[in-house]
Parts: sequence; C-alpha cells; structure tokens
Amino acid sequence: MILYLGRRLLGAAGILLAICAITFTIFYLLPADPAVAACGKTCSPERVAEVKVAMGLDKPVWEQFATYVTGIFAGRDYGSGPSATHCGFPCLGYSYEYSLPVWDLLTDRLPVSVSLAIGAAVLWLLLGLGAGVTSALRKGGVTDKTLMVLSVGAASLPVYFTSIMLIWGVVRTAGLLPYPAYHNFTDNPVEWASNLLLPWVALALLYAAMYARQSRNSMIEAMAEPYIRTARAKGLPAGTVAVKHGLRAGMTPILTIFGMDLGGLLAGAVITESIFGLPGVGRLFYDALVRSDQPVILGVTLLAAAFIVAANLLVDLLYAYVDPRVRY
Amino acid sequence: MTRRTHAALAAALAATLTLGLGACKNDKSDSGGDSAAAGRTQAPGAASGTIVGGTPVKGGTLTVLSNQDFAHLDPARNWTMPNMDFGIRLLYRTLVTFKAEPGAAGSEIVPDLATDLGRSSDGGKTWTFTLKDGVKYEDGTPIKAADVKYNVERSFAADLTGGPDYAQQYLAGGENYKGPLNGEHLASIETPDDRTVVFHLKRPVAEFSYTATLPTFAPVPQSQDKGTQYDLRPFSSGPYKIETYDRGKQLVLVRNTNWDQSTDTVRKAYPDKIVVVQGLKGGQVDDRIIASEGADASAVEWANLRPESIPKVLPKPDVKSRLIAEQQGCTDMLYPNTSKAPFDDPKVREALTYAVDRDAQVTAYGGPAMADVATSYLPPALTGGTKQDTLKIAPTGDPEKAKQLLKEAGKTDLKVSLTVSSGDKTRAEALQQSLAKVGIQVTITTADPSVYYDTVGDTKNAPDLAILGWCPDYPSGATFLPMVFDGRTIKEKGNQGNVEQFRDQATSDRIDQINAMSDVGEANKAWLQLGDDLLKKAPTVPMLWQRRPLLAGTNVAGAFGHPVWTGQWDFATIGLKDPAKSQG
Repeated sequence: MILYLGRRLLGAAGILLAICAITFTIFYLLPADPAVAACGKTCSPERVAEVKVAMGLDKPVWEQFATYVTGIFAGRDYGSGPSATHCGFPCLGYSYEYSLPVWDLLTDRLPVSVSLAIGAAVLWLLLGLGAGVTSALRKGGVTDKTLMVLSVGAASLPVYFTSIMLIWGVVRTAGLLPYPAYHNFTDNPVEWASNLLLPWVALALLYAAMYARQSRNSMIEAMAEPYIRTARAKGLPAGTVAVKHGLRAGMTPILTIFGMDLGGLLAGAVITESIFGLPGVGRLFYDALVRSDQPVILGVTLLAAAFIVAANLLVDLLYAYVDPRVRY
Repeated sequence: MTRRTHAALAAALAATLTLGLGACKNDKSDSGGDSAAAGRTQAPGAASGTIVGGTPVKGGTLTVLSNQDFAHLDPARNWTMPNMDFGIRLLYRTLVTFKAEPGAAGSEIVPDLATDLGRSSDGGKTWTFTLKDGVKYEDGTPIKAADVKYNVERSFAADLTGGPDYAQQYLAGGENYKGPLNGEHLASIETPDDRTVVFHLKRPVAEFSYTATLPTFAPVPQSQDKGTQYDLRPFSSGPYKIETYDRGKQLVLVRNTNWDQSTDTVRKAYPDKIVVVQGLKGGQVDDRIIASEGADASAVEWANLRPESIPKVLPKPDVKSRLIAEQQGCTDMLYPNTSKAPFDDPKVREALTYAVDRDAQVTAYGGPAMADVATSYLPPALTGGTKQDTLKIAPTGDPEKAKQLLKEAGKTDLKVSLTVSSGDKTRAEALQQSLAKVGIQVTITTADPSVYYDTVGDTKNAPDLAILGWCPDYPSGATFLPMVFDGRTIKEKGNQGNVEQFRDQATSDRIDQINAMSDVGEANKAWLQLGDDLLKKAPTVPMLWQRRPLLAGTNVAGAFGHPVWTGQWDFATIGLKDPAKSQG
C-alpha cells in the first residue's frame, strides 16, 4: 500500500511538471508578447525591451522555466528598490494584471469554487444516483422510462442555458432569490446557501442526468450478477441486496467519473461562475484569458491539474474500500 | 489611446452573445434588418449633456456595479479612459483638470492642485506651475512640488508599465532616464521650493496645460511609494481614500477628511462612501439598475448598457430618463493596409471611403443609442463640439461614385481580407455587404479580442482591412493625428496607432510644424485643417462615433457623462437624491 502510494505520488509530480512545461512552452510560442501588452499604447521598441527585462522575459525559455519551478519550492524575489517583494513558498509568480502573488489570488478565490463544486456534487449525487438506482430496480417500467427521458432532456441542456433560464425565471421574473453574490459560509451559512442555490442547481442538473444514466446501467449490470441471485436465495431483504450487494459493486465506474468531474470543478466552473458573477477560480481564469495574464493562467492550469490528479488518486484508493476484490 | 478597453468589454459581450443567443446572433442577415428598422424610428435614449436626477444631497453610499476590475489605479500607470476618470475625480488631484460639466464645457480646463493653468516661457519649452496653499494628503501632510516631480519620474520606470508616456515624449533628457526607483532623478524637472515645479521640455508644447491633466501629474510622496504594489493602494490626495480593495471583487472608498473643499473648485464629493462591486455579469447589472430595487436604486453601472438591454429601456419613459449616452470622443475607423496592393493606391482608398455604408455600421453596432455616423477623423469633442463634414458623403455611402473611382484606378473585382475582433463580427458582415455592392469581395477572419491588437499590429502579416478606433487622451488634435497618421510611429510588431501603415512625408512634416507652434488656438486650427486634408488622402475611413450608454438607479443624482473620459460618469459630481435610502 505504502509503496503503491509512493509510486503514485511520484507519478503525480511528474504529470504536474510535464503540464507546467507544456503550458510554459505554449506561452513562449504564442505571438502575444506580455511586455508589449503591459507597456501600453505608444510604447517604443526600446521601452518594450526595458519592460521585458523588468518582467524577466528577456531570458531564454528554459531559464524562465527553471526559475519558475524552483520558485514554487524556494520562493522568489521580485523587483528592486521600493518594488522589491518576496514571493514565498509556494510561489506561482506574480499576476501581471493584479500585481499580487498568483498563489494569494488562487487561495482567495478557491473557497467560492469549492463551495460551488461540493454543493453541486452533493446535489447531483443525490439526484443522479437516486434516479439511476430507482430506474434500474424498476427496469422497463413507467418510472424508469420517465426518469430516463427526463435525464436525456436534462443532459442535453447546456449549463449556460439552464443558468440563464434559472436567472430569468427564479430571479428576474419571480423574484424568489437575489442575483447570486458570494457570502462566506462562516459569516452567514443561510446567505451562503441561498445565493449558491441556483448555480448548484444549474451545475447539478447537467451532471445528475449523466450520473443517472451511468448508474442505471452499472446497477442493472450488477443486479444481474450471480451473487445477487445467491443473496436473494439466502433470503436477504430486497433493500439490503440492492444497496449492500448491488449498489456497492455498481459504484466503481461511477466513482471513477466522479473523481474526474469533481477534480475539474474544484479548480473553477468557468461558465457557471461567469454567468452567476461568482468570484471563483473559474472567473479568475476567464479574466486572465481575456487580459493575457499568463502567470494566472498557468497557476489555474496547474491547480486544475493538481486537483484532477489528486482526485484520481483518491478514487483509486477508495476502490479498495468499495470493492473488496481490489487490493494494493 | 486605443480601444483596448473596448476590446475587453467586447470580449465579455461576445461571450454573452455566443453563450446566450448563439443561434439568433449568427442568423443575423434577417434579424439585423428588423432591428435596423426599429433602430431608425427610435431616437437616441439621451442627448449629449443630459444630467440625471438633479442636484444631489450630501451623504449616503453610492454603489458602482461593474463587470471588471480597474486596469491600474496607480497614477503613473493609469491610462485607460474610464479608469482615469475614476482615479482623478476621487483619489488623486492633478496640476490641472477638466471642469465637471456636461457637454462642450466639460472639455475646458481649470487649475486643480496648481494656482493657474501653468505659465510657459522659452517659447513654450518651459512650463512652471505653483501649487495651492493648504493642499494635503489623506494623513494630513502637505502636498509638495517634489511629490509631483516624483510621480512624473515614476512614469519612466520600466516595471511601472501601462501609463501615459507623454512625460517620456516631452521632457528633456527623458531618453536615457530609467525612473526614480533606484535613486536617480530627472534634471529637467526642477522644484526650486515646496510649491513650485518647473518642467523643461525637448520642444515647445503649446497644449502642455492639457497634458498636465493626466494622472502622471498627480502627486505621489516618495515615502509612500511601494513600486508595483502602489497600484493596490494609491495614497490619496483627493476627496476619498481606499478603505478596502479586494481585487476583482470590491473596492470601498471612504471620505478623506484631510481633503479641503475650499481648495477644490471641481470635486463636490457628495456621497460619504463609494462601493464598487466588480466581476458582475453585464446583462445582470443592466437588469438590476432597470429594476432599481433596494440598494440598487443608489447604484450606477460602470460598463456600457448592453445593446440587448436597450429595448428594455427606451420604451419606458421612467427608465429612459435615467439613461445617459454621451459620445465617447473616439473615432472608430476602417483601416486599410496602405503598405501593399490594392490599398497602396489612394484612388482605391478613396473608393473605400465612398463605398462604406456607415448607417449600416451604426445599426450593426446597436443603433443610434449606441453610435453616430462619423464624418471626420477628429471627433466633435476635438472640433469645438461641432461636427466636421467636408466630404459630405451620404451616411449610406455612394456606391456609384466608388465604382467609378475603382474603374479610374483600373481595379475592379478586388478580393481583400478583413480581420476583426470577435465582438465586431456583425459589423464586419455589414461591411462585407456594402463593399460587395462596389465589387470588392471581403473575406472575414475573426480574432479573439485578447490577441486582436497583436494580430493587426504585426506589420508583416497584417490583413488588408481592420476595424479599430482611436481615443484622444485630452481634447487636442496632438493626441490623435500624430498617433494615427505619422509614418514614423509604425512599429514592426505591436504596431498600435498607425495600423494602416500610412507613410506620408508631407503629413509627418506638417505634424512637426504644428507641434512647434506655441499658440494653442492656432495649433488647434491647424490640426483641424490637417484632419480635413488627410481625409482626401484617405489613409483610413472614419465610420462611427460611439456613445457610452449608461444607466443610473432611481436614487442617483447629479449624474452625467463626461465628454473627455469617453462619456463615463463624472465621479466629481455624482451623488444621491436621498442618502437615507442608500444602504451603508
């Protein structure tokens, strides 16, 4: 187990380093020059060259990359004179746009994205698994058919459509909820939840539909296994058979996609956050893209990669718990 | 300045449109026609110079609902139009500033920190300003001449990017100066005593009093300078100071109790507190201010009203009365690539001038509430408020004349490329249609707003046509014509002003002559004439004078668009009708 974990962690570090290198190279190859963008309108070539030096962009790409990677662990010093600042561990660079360390920006925005992701995940697991399992147990019946038609419908609605419709219907027309704004959970849990409700629903609807279809299929497969017949023959109650023997075995593939989905969402739901005006990591990413704020784009990319890698690892470890046949 | 800020807005807009209305938007040939008809029957929401809400009462909290953060608030780095307005009116005072009045009067300058508009000597090469007595920073310490000098010096520093570069262009010895962050100072700015600052320039600059309105000429005490970090908290010399600033989320301003109303003829500072909420979705901001419920009644919007929100505003008199739509003072133009065929031929460019249906451009941009047809390079704010129109071409264009010109040039059946920012796709299609009528076939390429300027500013790979605009930094032809039409400003990459790559010796010579004039009135006349002369050489085609439609809540008063800062709210005079109704 320990050996396995060590191997996986080493692999994860390798993946992150590779992603970092690829993103870095892409930026280097892009035609957009951050020094020109920062310098402004009627900037002379000499001035651009000075700005390049001030931003550290005059160095060869491998050297910039090496500085960046060592900076993550050892921290970096920026600027001189009154501008001098130290960017401590883990230093992901300074945002061109905000003059703030990227790490501070990320940690500042993360609670919003995490709130959004966790809340939505709880909702879609409840809705999706509930619908999927119910359908599977009533395979071919009216309930099954209705639920599956509904889930095809929900899955085919893009999240921006549901978001805009929710705002239009619930906020603008009915006036039941305010325009979403983020409130800290610790300040006021009720405000926190009521403001996040719409984005949760918008995200959850999409995922729930997919999970319903997935879980229905794996549940049907699991319920057709010989050990289910055995369990029934032993006289176990139907509920115990379905949950303990059927659901547990059917969960494995769900867990895999859940890890990927949640990992990706934790680093920001770009569209949902933008539409609902939530200042999360996704919104930060979108702003950074529009303004070519490369250190932030790189930071968010790394964060997203880290979350997905971590979620995958966690899921693999959970397999052993969910499925007794899996051993490390 | 270029329309870079507009590009950012357009990006946000494009995102909404593609997200929300993708199908309808792409299907524009039909729906475009409908909205065109609707647009023509509706007059603009508000004429230039409208003041919303009467005279404000002191107190309360004014909320500004915004879709974005400020690019820079550091006075040495602040050079995007609405941000300059915000900084100068609320956080820092400059040597000279613009009157807080709507319409043409707003383009007049008055002394701010200085006692007069500056005294020139040495034929306009030396400018002396004297600071008022009793002007103070937020901590109560006096504002000194050396602090003005210090911030001008900061604008030279390579890591304080983005700010106006007029000081670098004008000040003697500026070529080799690298800024004060490493202890070096610029000899061409003298401060003989705490209240006098003297600028020695490379050449006569007749309109230097106008230059001194830029945030570069706001004071920054050296003891408060934090280099790049100063952007996060500029030290206040204006009526408000920063209480908190959560970048990208919220900025809270409270009164600077050390600011003395008696030293300031411009700023009224009505609200007790100003809260800027950032990162909101544009369409939602429109809806909230239209509804004006609760705290939103005491709110104004930062970014333009969306074109799709206009139908919710114009038909309702009570909402329409809260709309302003000041001209931005920028000219939006079609830039032909004059460095290569076919647009190296002045005849072909002239044909282009006649071929463009500017009326269709207005429609594609959102109708008359959003823009007017442009008839000259210099916008009305630079021509004394009156519209120049020397060519007198019909707003819908003159295809017959264009065809004839093309025939004379021996160029029929042209095939050209047009690259536009993705937000301008509808306009590109309108252009495609009007040019097709004269036999010019246009292929449209769209570029993401974030790389648009780099794409069209790469001289080697520039397209045949591009749509961009130019906004003067202050009302003088000197901040427009040289940037857009002087061939010496062309850069191989990142070319921003003279995107059409127009190289004309006569124009460059004339620019030098006008720059050397020491009389402002004479220089202004000469710029006007040069603008008209240039139109005949057709380096670019003026298309639109865009307006800035902005909506205020029902409790907002004293609100108007300032003509100098691209029609953004003048934050010097804005306030509330009933402060008790606002929420602290």
